[in-house]
Amino acid sequence: MVGRDGIAALVILVASGVLFALTFGLHANPLVPIGPAFYPRIVLGVTAALAVLLLVVDVVAQRRHPAARPEPAAEPLNYRLVLVAFVVFGLYVAALPHLGFRIATLAFVVAFQAVLDPPRTARHWIVVLAIAAATTVVTYFVFERYLSVLLPRGPWTDF
Amino acid sequence: MFELLAAGLVNVVQIKYLVPLFLGTLAGVVGGALPGVTITMTIIVVLPFTFGLDPLQGLAAMTGVYVGGSAGGLVTAVLLGIPGTPSAIATTFDGHPMARKGEPGRAIWTGIWASLFGGLLGGVFLIGTTGPLAAFALRFGPWEFFSLFVLALSMVAGLVGSSLLRGLLSGMLGLIVTVLGNDPIFGTPRLTLGISWLEGGVPFLPVLIGVFAFAQIMSDVERMGGAAGLGEAVDRGASMAVSHARVVWDILSRPFLLLWSSVIGVIIGVLPAIGGSAANMMAYDQAKKFSRRPEKFGSGIPEGIIASESANNANVGGSLVTIMAFGIPGDAVTAVMLGALTIHGIQSGPLFISQHPQLAYGIFAAYLLAHPLMVLILGVSTRWMLRIVTVPKAALFPVVLVLCVIGAYALGNAMASVYVLLAFGVLGYAMVKYDFPLAPFILGVILGDQIEINLVRAIMTDSDPWLFVTRPISGALLALSVVSIVAALWQHRRHRRRHGAAEEGADF
Repeated sequence: MVGRDGIAALVILVASGVLFALTFGLHANPLVPIGPAFYPRIVLGVTAALAVLLLVVDVVAQRRHPAARPEPAAEPLNYRLVLVAFVVFGLYVAALPHLGFRIATLAFVVAFQAVLDPPRTARHWIVVLAIAAATTVVTYFVFERYLSVLLPRGPWTDF
Repeated sequence: MFELLAAGLVNVVQIKYLVPLFLGTLAGVVGGALPGVTITMTIIVVLPFTFGLDPLQGLAAMTGVYVGGSAGGLVTAVLLGIPGTPSAIATTFDGHPMARKGEPGRAIWTGIWASLFGGLLGGVFLIGTTGPLAAFALRFGPWEFFSLFVLALSMVAGLVGSSLLRGLLSGMLGLIVTVLGNDPIFGTPRLTLGISWLEGGVPFLPVLIGVFAFAQIMSDVERMGGAAGLGEAVDRGASMAVSHARVVWDILSRPFLLLWSSVIGVIIGVLPAIGGSAANMMAYDQAKKFSRRPEKFGSGIPEGIIASESANNANVGGSLVTIMAFGIPGDAVTAVMLGALTIHGIQSGPLFISQHPQLAYGIFAAYLLAHPLMVLILGVSTRWMLRIVTVPKAALFPVVLVLCVIGAYALGNAMASVYVLLAFGVLGYAMVKYDFPLAPFILGVILGDQIEINLVRAIMTDSDPWLFVTRPISGALLALSVVSIVAALWQHRRHRRRHGAAEEGADF
């Protein structure tokens, strides 16, 4: 039986193990005593050892207090909203190189506001759209025109 | 030193530096006043605006953010009883009660003037010690640098978070990020996982932005949907009138309190990853212990505000020392400043002051000038802050995320950095949920390449590994690492015995 720490330890152990195995494909220069795998193997080895230690500590703790659960949060946490927020942001990142900064950002700011605080009145929708438009226009002009920081342009829209 | 500082001051008062410094300080004050928006978040948002500026303009703006943010938190701490930043938590203990007793102006201005005096004392330490510390560090060989970075990592891992093991693992995860993609010694691809854009390595700035921005924002999103009260606000009609002479006398007539709180702030600032939140709490605690009237603390006395606010601003000076003398960030804010230096092609570390004296003393001058600007901004805008802090998070968060994307994209005009931002945003949130502290992770990402370079250099110079222990400075630093880990173990055990499974949050 493993708890939260045990799960994290297992994930880290597996990742370290996979990466450690990949270091055997690194070729050292015969003229140089230390190759590219030297330091990564130390780091990955120490990480794996610490992960094993965390796993052991967690298993021992679970055996001592098998019914122990994390205390429930004082207020219920909205993980569904977090997931949706990540998905919306992920879609924004995916859309950026295709739609371009201005269109993707406008859509993203509208969508993110709507997800976090769904508008219920026409006035609220107007405020949401105004914030999205202002964000897009101001950031575009400040960064691309004034600071010469180029922003993505989309081949689908060339905008 | 004084000639260089005078030259720096003359340089920074030019409009082209004064404007970014003013705007940065203003952004810091506003960001610091907004509960839920940390100084780290504010500087991350300001970062992309600095790409088109010259290095001193950008760093002046960021220094302004740091100074302004460290003081801005006192506004909501006093007027609403909610600290704008973690570095103003202790200010609420006496600031809000004093305001509710009918003296909001006195509470605010005690905090503002204490921030000024504490910050200037921190500046004396910053300017006086950075040069000698950097000169001392120039005697370091690769053994000493390796040991110094290991000490920084072990201190951070031990002092932040509720578990030493998770702290150490977090640091190691940061080091793993740096072994992906690129061998810093030979410049050859390594462990690219079949991803072509990873061949240049993982850029640390999008990692930093992703981890901190998403950890903060998504932790707030989790709690959205509930009725979020702003606490009991002080009556907006209450007078902010105050006798400045009386307030300044309140502070200067307690020189030991001011000095000791500032020293605590500076020492905490020098220690990696521990920041203003620890500084203000520790200074408050110390002020209460040394006070002749400890029972009055919490009822609205000036000592509580003076201790907290002078410490959190002096902390800024301490943090800047470690980054300017050693190239090791004292906290997330200076980590972002390190990123800004890197973007402009400037290597921080012991050679920074000698190779870039104009920039270094320009930063010192900006730090000093940011304090009177902070006083001016806070003095004029305090009443308006109450309107600003009611900005809905649903509107604020997407704007912050857009600026994070711009900050990541602009690094190389490539979407790869934005993908890194998203990936590490997910990782950062997962780390928070599994109670892995972020500070050691970020320090590992920042220091990883340097740790490897110095380790390999040391071994290629002389293959005897005992030199890490037998060389006096290196040996002392490694011994301190061991001591810090043992001390952390003892501290965690003692905390668990007292509080059970209670958790301590990371400073960021």
